[in-house]
Amino acid sequence: MATSEALAAGTKVETASSRSRGDVAFYTVLALCAAAFLITIHVIFFKAPVESTMGIVQKIFYFHVPIAYSMYVGAAACFVGSAGYLARGTRGWDAFARAGAECAVAMGVLVLVTGALWGAKAWGVYWTWDPRLTTALLSVLIYVAYVVLRAFAGDGDSERKFAAALGVLGAANLPIIHYSVQKWGGNHPKVITSGGGGLKHPDMKLALMLGFLTFTLLAVVLIWTRVRIELAAARLGEAEEEALELGVGEE
Amino acid sequence: MSADQAAREAPGAAGQGTTADDRGATFRAVEGGNQMQSGEKLLVEAYAFIWIVVLVFVASMFRRQRRLDRRIETLETALQKARAKSGGD
Repeated sequence: MATSEALAAGTKVETASSRSRGDVAFYTVLALCAAAFLITIHVIFFKAPVESTMGIVQKIFYFHVPIAYSMYVGAAACFVGSAGYLARGTRGWDAFARAGAECAVAMGVLVLVTGALWGAKAWGVYWTWDPRLTTALLSVLIYVAYVVLRAFAGDGDSERKFAAALGVLGAANLPIIHYSVQKWGGNHPKVITSGGGGLKHPDMKLALMLGFLTFTLLAVVLIWTRVRIELAAARLGEAEEEALELGVGEE
Repeated sequence: MSADQAAREAPGAAGQGTTADDRGATFRAVEGGNQMQSGEKLLVEAYAFIWIVVLVFVASMFRRQRRLDRRIETLETALQKARAKSGGD
């Protein structure tokens, strides 16, 4: 009896210490993300030169491309979480998938809007049915469908499994977005290529690299925060059910 | 051609093939195309939108956290009542 109590106490201490380690790691990533934002904004506006033909509106590029990349990060998290949930059926994987889908929606909306604002200057129109734009819109709609499904279809096991299937299938569109420019052409610029890319100034490259770092950290922070909230809600839900079974809080 | 004449005939932002005198007397609108949009305005709109979406995302998480706090509070109150009841029995 005493041994089991000591073991239980030991597990509690271990859980509390791993939770505090998790908190330290989380706040470290959060601080790094904030610092990266400040440095990136400084480099974009005060170091990177203005592009010769497009002018200042080209600076949208330094956020637009990293945001598109962080949409992939969110979508990849949704895919991994969904596949994990289908394989294992644990709440952790489900929370990871849900967080990834929400991040993909937020970043996807940002990609579409910042791209449209850039297009207004570069092409003279906000939107054109270019292959990359169309496939990106399709992907955002898939993740919007996932988020809407999770918000309104209840939180049962079958709903979670259905959403997980959508999360796995939705990822099939991601490589299509990426390769659409190479395969079908279109108006979308092809500045980032395997041959070193079209950024001719080192400060332009630096601004883009910092943008990638910043938005990767932002995606990690958003997904991590969302997973923490989702797991806490799941634990609380279980505690409430247990309390009701024990007759606590019925009146 | 003198420098003054070149400046007068140089194509400017107001349109190709107009002289400084023409530009001083008439204003011609740009017809369609990307010159209709100010790059600075579009840049500010793009960055403002980024911050708004990130803030809305963070605010939604804050709201979810508040809802969780309320549920924890309700459960704690119910537990306290149950403890007091069992202590009184």
